[in-house]
Amino acid sequence: MHLLRGAFLDTAREPGVSSGGQLSVLVAAIGNPDRGDDGFGPAVADRLRGRVSAGVRVIECGGDVLSLIEEWAGFSAVLVVDVAAPIGRPGRIHRLDLHGPSPLVTFARGSTHALGIAETVELARILGRLPRHLVVYLIEGERFDIGARLSPAVNDAVDRVAENILAELSGRSAALQEGSAEHA
Amino acid sequence: MANRTLRVDYIARVEGESSLDLRIRDGKVERVRLSIFEPPRFFEALLRGRGFGEVLDIVARICGICPIAYQMSGVHAIEDALGIVVDPPTRVLRRLLYCGEWIESHALHIVMLHAPDFLGYPDGIAMARDHPDAVQRGLALKKAGNELLTLLGGRAIHPVNVRVGGFYRVPSRGEFAPVVESLKHARDLAVATLRWAATFSFPDFTHDYEFVALRHPDEYPMNVGRIVSSAGLDIAAADYETEFIQRQVPYSTALHSVLGRRGAYLVGPMARYALNRDRLPAEVRALADEAGLGPTCRNPFRSILVRAVEVIYACGEALRLIADYEPPARAFVPAEPRASVGYACTEAPRGILYHRYRLDAEGTIVDARLVPPTSQNQSVIEEDLRQVATAGLDLDEDALKANCEQSIRNHDPCISCAAHFLTLRVNRA
Repeated sequence: MHLLRGAFLDTAREPGVSSGGQLSVLVAAIGNPDRGDDGFGPAVADRLRGRVSAGVRVIECGGDVLSLIEEWAGFSAVLVVDVAAPIGRPGRIHRLDLHGPSPLVTFARGSTHALGIAETVELARILGRLPRHLVVYLIEGERFDIGARLSPAVNDAVDRVAENILAELSGRSAALQEGSAEHA
Repeated sequence: MANRTLRVDYIARVEGESSLDLRIRDGKVERVRLSIFEPPRFFEALLRGRGFGEVLDIVARICGICPIAYQMSGVHAIEDALGIVVDPPTRVLRRLLYCGEWIESHALHIVMLHAPDFLGYPDGIAMARDHPDAVQRGLALKKAGNELLTLLGGRAIHPVNVRVGGFYRVPSRGEFAPVVESLKHARDLAVATLRWAATFSFPDFTHDYEFVALRHPDEYPMNVGRIVSSAGLDIAAADYETEFIQRQVPYSTALHSVLGRRGAYLVGPMARYALNRDRLPAEVRALADEAGLGPTCRNPFRSILVRAVEVIYACGEALRLIADYEPPARAFVPAEPRASVGYACTEAPRGILYHRYRLDAEGTIVDARLVPPTSQNQSVIEEDLRQVATAGLDLDEDALKANCEQSIRNHDPCISCAAHFLTLRVNRA
């Protein structure tokens, strides 16, 4: 059944422009739904679809995170949802503001080839292409087996993160400008 | 030191996981092993028992960088089995899809993966601090390729719009308008990228490869053509397995493919260019000449220039195809199952990709054979490494490792595709 996921064509849409013609928000959910807890981002994206306002675009990013630099061009605010390796407690949610002068956290490189979100943010910072507001929600994962479902702890966090994002979007001017590293 | 062992545990800036072992004894390179330790993925076995209509969505998952190549070889092979001849506009759309994949794949490799080797940076991010314009060009090129893939394939990664007999949905002429503007800009960026890469310093290195690529009567090859070589091979895809042999090596999960009569051979941009330069438009040939390529390039370090030439070509070819495009009267030709065998070979960004499928009367896949370009280039990569290591015996370990890694990246190996790849170990003990 996994082959049917996301089987619909991306619809042509001018990026970053709401129906009112105003710059808006991009929510980029990173991950592979067929690799256990790496499916956290897509699961959150599923919860958000149909519940966000016209000025918010929700996309899934399967493997080509580098393309986010082009995807977020024109958006004033970007929320990224991704999974992290466990560093203490699987299911724990981290909310990070990555638009500061330097990253608040250090990321380990996860690939010999593809750029992850840390490298992509760093490259965008060097090129002067970071969005005005960039917040990353990271969940600590537990298992990443091929074909596995979300672990219970990570699955329990899907709704919480989706609700946090919806709340953030509803009052986004204030919330997104507050940006800080915190555990949600 | 006469004896030493050099090991690179993970080769960076290649797709997938591999290592390299070099053993040097008495001042000579005794052993070179490019070891692909990415686990086997069993796609050929996974395809058995599936309906022919499921194949394209399955094989697209083999690679996130070249899913179009897998879909194109797959769809052509199944259509060959079922005796389907697609409508001419469908063929145009498939060539356009390939243009998109060549642009995005080559742009990523040229700028983010290969150029840092020539300019002395550990990666593309560090390089971006001093060469931001080059990186911006690479990202914009990649975007242009992705736009084409998204329009025609439904999305850039693991596209879903290709089906046996044609497409699920075909675009109108008007839908190409924004892509045309991107491609016009991309062509200028590709020319700038070629001229930038032409300023690099290239090691003095040549290898007398047997080049293998597709050859088409009129076109620079992508989807269609006979398999030809610089040593006179000229066969149809159906004869691939009579000339090419896949053999297992104990240190790698990837099979090595060799020509049964002559051994190692090279596929990819250098082979395509050497065998098909006359199929490039005059203005593209002139740009290749300006970059110092000449009619044949046998220095793999200069492959970065050939890729840039192919990006220029793909942008221009896409624009030409779009200008002439008329939507097909039907999105696809109906497919009726029958017991049959089908063969196809198409030009992935990294070289020819061979598919063969045997179907039963209900159209179920009985068996499948997929031979990716990296599997075909592994032997020649090891031969290159032996030459590079021999020339660099007096270098310190870090310098020798760097030269060896660059030598591997010359061929833009896609290890995940081949795993059925770097860690470098040099043993001088």
